[in-house]
Amino acid sequence: MTDEKVIEIINSSLAEEFELDIEKMVPDALLKDDLGLDSLDRVDTVIVLEHAFKFKIREEEAIREIRTLGDIHRFVINKIRDLGEA
Amino acid sequence: MKYDCLIIGGGVSGLTAALVMAKNGYHTALLESSRKTAPTIRGFKRQGLFFDTGFHYTGGLSDGEPLDIFFQYLGLSGKIEKYPFDENGFDTFRCLEPNFEFPFPYGYNRIRERFSKRFPEETKAIDEYLNAVKHVYHSQSYINLDIDTNNPGLSVVHGPSLKEFLDRITDNEMLKCILSMHCLLHGVAPEEVSFFSHALVAGSYYESVYGIKGGGFSLAEAFDARLKELKVDVFCNREAKEILLSGENELSGVMCGDKEILYCEHCISTIHPQQLLAIVPHSAFRPAYRKRIEALEDTCSAIMVYVKTVPPLKEIERANLFLFPSPSFPDPCAADPIDKRPMFIARARQDEGKAFEEGCIIICPEPHTGTEYWSTLFPTDDPDAYQSYKHDMTRRIITHIETSCPEFKGRITHVESATPVTLKRYTNSPRGGIYGVKHKIDQYNPMAATRIKGLFLAGQATTAPGVLGAVVSGFLACGNIIGHEKLREELKACI
Repeated sequence: MTDEKVIEIINSSLAEEFELDIEKMVPDALLKDDLGLDSLDRVDTVIVLEHAFKFKIREEEAIREIRTLGDIHRFVINKIRDLGEA
Repeated sequence: MKYDCLIIGGGVSGLTAALVMAKNGYHTALLESSRKTAPTIRGFKRQGLFFDTGFHYTGGLSDGEPLDIFFQYLGLSGKIEKYPFDENGFDTFRCLEPNFEFPFPYGYNRIRERFSKRFPEETKAIDEYLNAVKHVYHSQSYINLDIDTNNPGLSVVHGPSLKEFLDRITDNEMLKCILSMHCLLHGVAPEEVSFFSHALVAGSYYESVYGIKGGGFSLAEAFDARLKELKVDVFCNREAKEILLSGENELSGVMCGDKEILYCEHCISTIHPQQLLAIVPHSAFRPAYRKRIEALEDTCSAIMVYVKTVPPLKEIERANLFLFPSPSFPDPCAADPIDKRPMFIARARQDEGKAFEEGCIIICPEPHTGTEYWSTLFPTDDPDAYQSYKHDMTRRIITHIETSCPEFKGRITHVESATPVTLKRYTNSPRGGIYGVKHKIDQYNPMAATRIKGLFLAGQATTAPGVLGAVVSGFLACGNIIGHEKLREELKACI
């Protein structure tokens, strides 16, 4: 899967599950301030990504560092790469 | 009528939340759909014997331990009388094939000593397991009031399963099964439950184990008396039909079944999260959250067989019996034959037994598949089929116990049975799960705060099962309103 495809899936899944405006979904968008995804949505964000990509997220430390939509894109792209190499 | 806080559900978590809020000056009301509060733990009387339901014993109730501190804070300590279980064996593990018996003591030193004696080759594994359990249990903000945390509650991503943890430290199947036996106290198999969730439950029993004189009934009565003292309005026979919102997803009140509206600033819902979805406006929660709640899996249900034992059985005096067919822990949710299922046996109302006869309770896990027929029907819709199912299960369970446990043979007489349908009614849970929603790996249970301003959740689905889990969940929900640090400081003052 290309990085562009991964980003497209992330954006469309999050937009659907959190009723977000796709126009606002730029990499620099802050999850909390720009997209309105706060700590209450953290668990659901993990679940949406798990369902969209059929993997399980156990990287607690990495998840805590995520601040922007671009951080999510990078996290998922890296995870898919790691899984491919494993 | 307008309240500062309305509690939906009068189980242990709701009763706790009501007392905490009222004690902190909030004008509080509580809605309970049953005839009385805490219907699950009130027990019942048959043939002159009192049988406990839903509550048989608890951890963490010794002086200065978490539940003791909570009860002091709530003003319940003076209204109940506790008694210790046998410190040298509060739960007896019995494996049928091969035959192996192990009385599980409480107190970390005693546990370590007993295990090391029976499993001398496994001392390192036992130490690692016990240290890890202790660490997890004492890392919780309402269990350990001394830890510095601004973020109470459970972590987001799950660690290893109990099975993965045990497989890593030992190859001894019997030891693994004994260390997993308390999975029966949360209803989730070792391969499904995270080590973390298991340690929260099991850890509370490793320090001390107590019963309450008069059982769950006394506890429910103590809660009721305290609600009265703190002037909480209790509405029984009344259920919440709709959560009402105003403006920006903000709570305004709750409409009851009789259409009366109780306006409130805060609401703590303790009902099964899936039942909450049905009374919340659809747009109030985001699709992702709604789907997560809809997908929550419940623990298995159970058949409870209540029997009379003549004369009383010394083997279960201040102790319970855990029966396993083999050293491999069976999945409690599997539709195994009766003799392949694990079982839990407790003595009824241990403090008030008659000299010549006594009650005893046998709890056998029952998968939801066994009662699918009753998911939309009441026993009265097909009484013959229901009675036949109930009698058949009872007969098979009693036969199994008499065959496998010689001390029971010829000494038990059937008094009553309860099925998943009974549990469904008394716990008000959609499928009659014995411990409600599972706490399992890759299932993310809801936390106290919700997207609706003013609405919070409590109950064993949010925190952990058992009286201790339910009480903690009540404090966690209230802490979101009152402030966790304030509550923890007040609790510390009770030590």
